[in-house]
Amino acid sequence: MSKYVVKATARTIKNYTKGYSDIQAKVRSATSNDPWGPSGTLMNEIAKATYNHNEFLEIMEMIDKRLNDHGKNWRHVFKALTLLDYCLHGGSEQVVKYAKTNLYVVKTLTEFQYIDEEGKDQGANVRQKAKEITNLLQDEERLNQERRNRDEMRRRMGGRNDY
Amino acid sequence: YPSRPVDREKAEHDLALNIKKATSPDETAPKQKHVRKCIVYTWDYHTSESIWNGLKVAPILADEIQTFKALITVHKVIRGGHPVTLKEAQNQINWLESCARSVAGDGNRGYGTLIRVYVDFLKAKLAYHRHHPEFNGNFDYEEYISLKNVDDPNEGYETISELMNLQDQIDQFQKLIFVHFRQSSSNECRIAALVPLVEESYGIYKFLTSMLRAMHKRTDAIDALTPLRTRYNAQHYGLIKFYYECSNLKYLTSLINVPKLPQDPPSLIDGSAPNLPK
Repeated sequence: MSKYVVKATARTIKNYTKGYSDIQAKVRSATSNDPWGPSGTLMNEIAKATYNHNEFLEIMEMIDKRLNDHGKNWRHVFKALTLLDYCLHGGSEQVVKYAKTNLYVVKTLTEFQYIDEEGKDQGANVRQKAKEITNLLQDEERLNQERRNRDEMRRRMGGRNDY
Repeated sequence: YPSRPVDREKAEHDLALNIKKATSPDETAPKQKHVRKCIVYTWDYHTSESIWNGLKVAPILADEIQTFKALITVHKVIRGGHPVTLKEAQNQINWLESCARSVAGDGNRGYGTLIRVYVDFLKAKLAYHRHHPEFNGNFDYEEYISLKNVDDPNEGYETISELMNLQDQIDQFQKLIFVHFRQSSSNECRIAALVPLVEESYGIYKFLTSMLRAMHKRTDAIDALTPLRTRYNAQHYGLIKFYYECSNLKYLTSLINVPKLPQDPPSLIDGSAPNLPK
């Protein structure tokens, strides 16, 4: 566990030296190399921030960076896809527009390859996720329906701090 | 015009490296990360000129493996790249022909024939797209709602029959690749060429199916379409065999899903026939 504490500290320092904003630091933390998935709370916070135009730009910049990362950082790529998927469902309409315009960034990940030192094919997760998102982005009707469903569920659950 | 944060100067510099690495002399698949960068580049800047220039300045024609990997890369970039790539590729026939002339006979490592047949196929593909600009390089069916050609039966007949010629060419090429497998090798470099062929043949197959169905719906002269139906059925069985052989190649199935076709060709006349799987 301590290994990841060290890594988290290093990430904090890099956030500072690179001049990343708070929301960008959150995106970096949600898409880090830690071997557990991004928390729902964190993703929800990021998705909500996409309704603010400046934060939206900062978020997409960071997701884009993570999506184009090297094979050995396949977790960055995979979690960036997970976060993008979340934001497509729960984020602003701008996320949808942006992702459609830049569909090729995700689509070209459907052949992503990475085999780790133990010979395990870690690329498979990325390929699968990239395929799902590509299909979703090409199916306007389904995407709208899923966004509506999510909205409704949120309202039924009486989400306290939600816009 | 990219809406994502990019740096053109860096992209151009990286592109030269990506091309060099995608066409390295190692007998492996062209590394996908480098091919991907080329594809993304064409979408970011709506041009592929730097890619062609990069291929021409790199000394790849002296080595048959590098030449073969360059052709795979070109095929993937034409398929996945911005539509302008397909237009710009029309000006590169001379370069493709120089690839075909670069190896004598079968070459030292057995790629000579494969290179010439790959060039023939790419030339045929480019010619098809020149005559039928309504298709994209990918034969991506999802992006089209209907094709105008089926409104004019003669034009539709020709479009379909030329598309079938292209499908036959893929079939001959894939068979040749399998014949050239070597027992002593993983064959990864040869299998890499099958990946875009599986995708392309399935895109064409889906188009043929729906265009033929539409043609049958609109015409009273179903007999006139018999030659197309016969050919369609033959190609259906050819594809089943092709996909079956591909499904036994672990490297290939780890990268893409090989389509599963029904044992018998779907009906082109019966309107209630089920849609093809995606």
